[in-house]
Amino acid sequence: MSTMESPVIPARHTSKGPAPATGANRRRRGVNREGLEAGKRSTRTILWILLAASLVLYGFPFLYLLFTSFKTPIDTIAVPPTILPKEWTLANYANALGRSGVPASFINSIQTAVISTALSLVLSIPAAYGITRYKTRSGRVFIMAALVTRMVPPVAIGIPLASMMASVGLADTPIALSIAHTTISLPLSIWLMSSFFEAVPQDLEEAATVDGCSRLGALWRVVIPVVSGGIAVTAIFAFLASWNEFLFALLMTAVRSQTTPVVIANFQTQFGLDWGSMTALAAVYSIPVILLTLLLQRKIVAGMTLGAVKG
Amino acid sequence: MRIPDRRFALYLMTPAALFLAVFVAYPLFRLVADSFFKISPLVGGPRDFVGLDNYVRAFTSPDFMGAGWRTLAYTVMVVTLEFALGLGIALLFTTLGKKSQIWRTMFLYPLMIAPIVAGLLWKFLMIDNFGLLGSLLSQAGILQNPNQIGWLSNPDIVLFSVAIPDIWLTTSFMCLVLFAGLQNIPGDLIEAARLDGARAPALLFRIILPLLRPVIAVALVVRGIDAARAFDTILIQTNGGPQSASETMSLLIYRTMIRFGDPGLASAMGTIYLLAMLAIAFVAVTTIWRPGKDT
Repeated sequence: MSTMESPVIPARHTSKGPAPATGANRRRRGVNREGLEAGKRSTRTILWILLAASLVLYGFPFLYLLFTSFKTPIDTIAVPPTILPKEWTLANYANALGRSGVPASFINSIQTAVISTALSLVLSIPAAYGITRYKTRSGRVFIMAALVTRMVPPVAIGIPLASMMASVGLADTPIALSIAHTTISLPLSIWLMSSFFEAVPQDLEEAATVDGCSRLGALWRVVIPVVSGGIAVTAIFAFLASWNEFLFALLMTAVRSQTTPVVIANFQTQFGLDWGSMTALAAVYSIPVILLTLLLQRKIVAGMTLGAVKG
Repeated sequence: MRIPDRRFALYLMTPAALFLAVFVAYPLFRLVADSFFKISPLVGGPRDFVGLDNYVRAFTSPDFMGAGWRTLAYTVMVVTLEFALGLGIALLFTTLGKKSQIWRTMFLYPLMIAPIVAGLLWKFLMIDNFGLLGSLLSQAGILQNPNQIGWLSNPDIVLFSVAIPDIWLTTSFMCLVLFAGLQNIPGDLIEAARLDGARAPALLFRIILPLLRPVIAVALVVRGIDAARAFDTILIQTNGGPQSASETMSLLIYRTMIRFGDPGLASAMGTIYLLAMLAIAFVAVTTIWRPGKDT
């Protein structure tokens, strides 16, 4: 992604092959080392073992969730618990997905996340462009205000928002929930998009306007295509923010527009402690976004570190 | 007929600004307004102006003060542990260089998991009787019996236990941000320090950490704000219990509003909470972060 020449991700610059030798010391400790990279073979082995151990600890919990989702009900709450299922079964999946309200909740989750993502992009792209391109005082005030909204605890505005939605007849609809989710993702989107626009050379639109394009036309036809990678990153973050959100969903939805996180939480009380079905549903809900992450990891890393490292 | 650039920029920002005004600023205004009323939870019920009474009740309530301290303790604990772990792993990735790249990808996955799922998963791992964690520790001989710790049932340690999923979920973020920061430290600098005979601890505390300071500050502030608002993971694990020992501010406000049906009091608590967050964030940003300075 050429638009993201930020100081953030030159992760690969540490390994441009053997660097100019800076002394005998370097040669003694190992040839490949540059900067912080460890040189000695024995040190590296120990570090690799440490890394492997921490990754096993880090990766294991979710694997255990997957294993549990294939266990029989008795195995699930066996004392002492076993890691692998004694007997593999898909019963939990059938049970969880067949429960009334579950398929509908998936549709609600997708609808809400898609509407919220679209709303975030439509609002944040022009705003971020206005902030970064024209550098006005109102722009600086606005981006600070947007950052402050990041601090607002959802629990503080959830109830007033819910009653506002009810008073315009939007209670318990995906639209209302996606608006609530956009209050979370919009400030983040503005921040991210501003960083991406910052990286676009100004000559680009100047050339376009000289050729007779209006400013809006230049934005639409010249700038937007250049930052399309950045827009994709922003879209992923907005989508995830909505997909995984729970508190607004809990406060603002009843039966009709319930999203899957609320359904997962309800398994606990409504149907007793059905751990098997709960883990199956959690797995089905999480796996698409985990796969998405692995596919798009470079973009996600870029987005995640962009705002923070630039400060 | 060309509108001036300044006005054009303003037009571009207007839709987003309007959205935030209507859906964030106005609900906040309603929250503050509600905090001066005694409100019946019933729809259309009475609504009496009581002045600062709700604030007096909040500050004199042991629940509220307790939740305040717990939120602070929770935030400090989560952010400290995440930072230590994240930095450790980021240093591991850096010292191992390019070959560790694929592992960095694997390390990302918890970031995408819903907090509610993470809370559920860790509850399942830590629950008494059939929880895997206690069972494994006792099989390893560390515990005498699997239920010795009572992760989620012992009021003395439950605040730590409910923090685990949060730490697990977001150490990746810390690690990523610190890793990116580490890549920006010029190799020559480290090389020069090594030639001068600096050993690993000196390298870390005298060179790496001071250079990473802006990055560290941002990461701590961003994560601190999030941790102070923690709700999902705690609700699903303990619902604030046992004996309110894991009830943080978001949970208390939620329960005051929904379970105890006292929106006026809940609004006063929410207002105090928001002001405290803004004050702390402001102090943090101006003293640690210092945007634009010493970067």
